[in-house]
Amino acid sequence: MSHEVFEHTADLGVRVRAPDRAALYAESGQALFEILVDDLGAVRPATALEVAVAGDDAAYLLHDWLGELLYLFTARNLLLCAFDVRLAHSGLTGTVRGEVLDRTRHRLAHEVKAITYHGLEVRQDPGGWSAEFVVDI
Amino acid sequence: MAEALSIPLEPIDAWSWRIPRSYKPGMRVDGIVYADRALLELAGEEQALEQVANVAFLPGIQKASLAMPDIHWGYGFCIGGVCATDPEQGGVVSPGGVGYDINCGVRLVRTDLTLADARPHLTRLVNALFAAIPTGVGMGGRFVHQGEALARLLREGVDVLRRRGLATADDVECTESHGCLPDAEPAYLSERALERGYDQCGTIGSGNHFLEVQVVDRVEDPAKAEVMRIAEGQICVLIHSGSRGLGYQVCDDHLKVLRGVPERLGIQLPDRQLACAPVHSDEGRRYLGAMRAAANFAFCNRQLLLAQTREVFAEVFGKPWGALGMEQVYDVAHNIAKFEHHDVDGRSKLLCVHRKGATRAFPPGHPEIPARYRGIGQPVIVPGDMGRASWLLCGHEDAMARTFGTTCHGAGRVLSRTAAVKSARGRRIDQELFARGVLARARSREGLAEEQPDAYKDVDHVVEVVHGAHLSRKVARLRPLAVIKG
Repeated sequence: MSHEVFEHTADLGVRVRAPDRAALYAESGQALFEILVDDLGAVRPATALEVAVAGDDAAYLLHDWLGELLYLFTARNLLLCAFDVRLAHSGLTGTVRGEVLDRTRHRLAHEVKAITYHGLEVRQDPGGWSAEFVVDI
Repeated sequence: MAEALSIPLEPIDAWSWRIPRSYKPGMRVDGIVYADRALLELAGEEQALEQVANVAFLPGIQKASLAMPDIHWGYGFCIGGVCATDPEQGGVVSPGGVGYDINCGVRLVRTDLTLADARPHLTRLVNALFAAIPTGVGMGGRFVHQGEALARLLREGVDVLRRRGLATADDVECTESHGCLPDAEPAYLSERALERGYDQCGTIGSGNHFLEVQVVDRVEDPAKAEVMRIAEGQICVLIHSGSRGLGYQVCDDHLKVLRGVPERLGIQLPDRQLACAPVHSDEGRRYLGAMRAAANFAFCNRQLLLAQTREVFAEVFGKPWGALGMEQVYDVAHNIAKFEHHDVDGRSKLLCVHRKGATRAFPPGHPEIPARYRGIGQPVIVPGDMGRASWLLCGHEDAMARTFGTTCHGAGRVLSRTAAVKSARGRRIDQELFARGVLARARSREGLAEEQPDAYKDVDHVVEVVHGAHLSRKVARLRPLAVIKG
């Protein structure tokens, strides 16, 4: 599994690769929080939460999953560092782990306003799955 | 030129270029880009010109899909994009044409202070501003709004703050749309959107948002500057922020609702981010009601930022802010959709004008301009970057026919965020700014690197184009002295 940030003039683009679709969503969550926090290694997996997202379209499902994770940060101040995703009949369920933001230990890097639909893509490649998304900064 | 870029471009005059409708099947009108050759080539290096062509697909679009000279690659619309649709011809509203940061905008405040008055206090001033005014990711502030108090703010805008003694009648008058878009519907906001608005009114946020102390560097048009009470050597404050988390959530919620709409109505779109609904549809009306509420929240956000700035100035300079002459010059929105009358083919039509990183610039005599500015045209505030300059402009008659009364909104980025961070490695941007005479305070060093002056085009260059193309007129150039950021 891997992810990288790609060039976008105003915002940040993310490219993710994983062996299967569940891992692709998990890795995308990791990528999102690496944009939000300077050192994700400083975030402890102290609490666990279940996140369920419904939907059949693989790309919209990625959008909504990341949107839920972003909501947990913006509304609940939760920084997440571990993501375990299981695909369901229509949608996914994720177990996410992290802790509440502590400004003495955590340094925030970017304000992600939203997960955009621009260039949003999930596809199956010969070697596994890949995704691209752009976040609004 | 056409060979150098992947998109066909035909010169119209020295300042504008046409992307012909024939470029892509599905374009309903031409694209028109206001730029000189150098700026056009920068836009051609990324996907911005393609995005101008994509916007031309929107149903009901009038005249052309337009781009201002600060054009750069956005999501869906380019930044610097303008699109007017006619609701009576199936015209749509597209949340992507407004953006997530609904009514992101800028406000300019003048003072009676001169550079000589301010210089000895600048370090204390910037430190006090940074301590008092919330900046940075997710930072809340001391003004909290929920329940009916929040609903009132969303419905009535800045006048609510005037009644609470946090805005003057002049502040309200000198704000675009008097700080309130009518027909705002707080009921169309989700619980999540309202929750995100709780303590964020009166906070700057992060990214490219900032508060700058500036000095008037050069007056280009003394008569107009006098009407705006602006003179060389005078201290001003520029505030740049928007609707914070509340606005982002409104856009996100309504884009989700619109997902299936284009397909259902047989609207072909080249980018999912351009999702839209007819203005005269339930989805369109609900988005517009919520968007207006978020826009009113943004006007209030900048008003509360001004109220806090005034408190800090009063403390640092030891005088009430009124005695310092801290009056608002104007406040403009640069991410918004508004209903305005414009002439199309000799007929006046009520159009839905989307401005995504573009500023309304109404000409002299326009009834929507405050009486005090009606003789000179609407003030337009164009932030540049934190090392070079910003501009004060005013509306020009020709812009009504050319760009639905619109001009640029800033310098426009030229470096991606990743490229800017790479170029800042091993450098201290705050120290470089200090060497240029600018005191910078930021929560995030990476944020400062992303927003460094080299990340932006030269705003003087962009302003030359809007002045030359008669989209607005130069009034004064301001240069930064101190900046606080997220």
